[in-house]
Amino acid sequence: MSTTAPRPDRTLTPAAVDALLQDTTPWLSCEDCFEQMDTYVEALVDDPSHHDPAMAAHLRGCPACAEEADSLLDLISDEPA
Amino acid sequence: MGTLNREEPAPVRLTDARLPSDRVGRDEPEDWVAALAQPGAAQDVAMRRLHALMVRAAAHQVWRMRAALPDPSPHTVDELANQAADEAMTALLAKLHTFEGRSRFSTWAFKFAILQAATEVRRVQWQHREVELRDLEVEAPAHDGPDHAAEARDLAAALTRAMSTALTPHQRRVAIALLVDGVPIDVLAERLGTTRGALYKTVHDVRVRLRAALVVTGHLDDATPAGTPAGTAGTP
Repeated sequence: MSTTAPRPDRTLTPAAVDALLQDTTPWLSCEDCFEQMDTYVEALVDDPSHHDPAMAAHLRGCPACAEEADSLLDLISDEPA
Repeated sequence: MGTLNREEPAPVRLTDARLPSDRVGRDEPEDWVAALAQPGAAQDVAMRRLHALMVRAAAHQVWRMRAALPDPSPHTVDELANQAADEAMTALLAKLHTFEGRSRFSTWAFKFAILQAATEVRRVQWQHREVELRDLEVEAPAHDGPDHAAEARDLAAALTRAMSTALTPHQRRVAIALLVDGVPIDVLAERLGTTRGALYKTVHDVRVRLRAALVVTGHLDDATPAGTPAGTAGTP
C-alpha cells in the first residue's frame, strides 16, 4: 500500500498523544459495543446519568463506534415514547 | 437526551424535512420477530415497515456525515441511504433470531442501519485515496513552543520513543494509520482484509503497552488521563 493522498503531518500532535494514550480499560470489543448499543442508548435516554464504564471506555477509544452510538442516541431521542 | 460520557463535539441534529418521523413508529407489530419470520401478508407488511425504519436511520446517519462526502447532494445522500438500508436489512434479518427484547425493536433495528450507513460514507470518503502503512516516522514536536508546553513536548517525545521500543511493527503501522493519520477504522479494515474489531483490539493492546511504558519511565501515573504528564493531573 502506498499513497497519492496528501501526506499527513507525522508529528505527534496533542490530539495524537491523547489518542495513543487513551485508557480503554475495561476492555470491550467493537462487537460487544454493537451488541449493547441499543440498550445502552435507551438507558441514557431514560437516565442521562447512566454510566457503563466499559461502554464509556470503548466509546472514548473508538471514534467509529462513538459516532454510531451518538447517532443512535440522537435518533431515538426524537422517537415518540 | 443523554450524553455518551465522553468529550465529543455536539452532534449534528437531523433537520431534514424529507425524513419525517411519522413515517415509522405507528402501527408497528407487537411482535416484530414473529411478524417478520412467518410467511404471509403480515410478513409483507412488517417487511415494508422494517424497510422504512432502516431507510430512516440510514438517512439520518448519512445526513450527519454528509460533509465527508465528495458529493453531498440530496441525490447522493438518498442513494447512499437506500443502499445502506437494503444491506442493513439483510444483516438484521440474518440476526433476527438474536433479538431478545431488551430494547425496543426499532432501536435495535436502527443500529444496523446506522452502522451500515456510517461504514458506507467512510468508504465513499476514502474510495479514491490509498492508505499508506508505514513504520515509525512520527516525530515529537519541535522544542520551539512556549515554556508551559514543555511537559507536553516531553511526553510526546517519550511516547515516540515508547512506540519504537514497546510496539511491534504491525502495531506501530496500525496505530499510526488510525491514531496519527486518522484513517477511519472501517477503511483500514477493508484495505487490510480484516475487521473493525480486530483492529480495535490491536489499538487497545497498543494503548496498554504505551501507557505501561510511560508509567515505567515516570511520564504517566497509573491512573493518569491520556495526554497528562505525571504529576500534573488535576492541575487547573
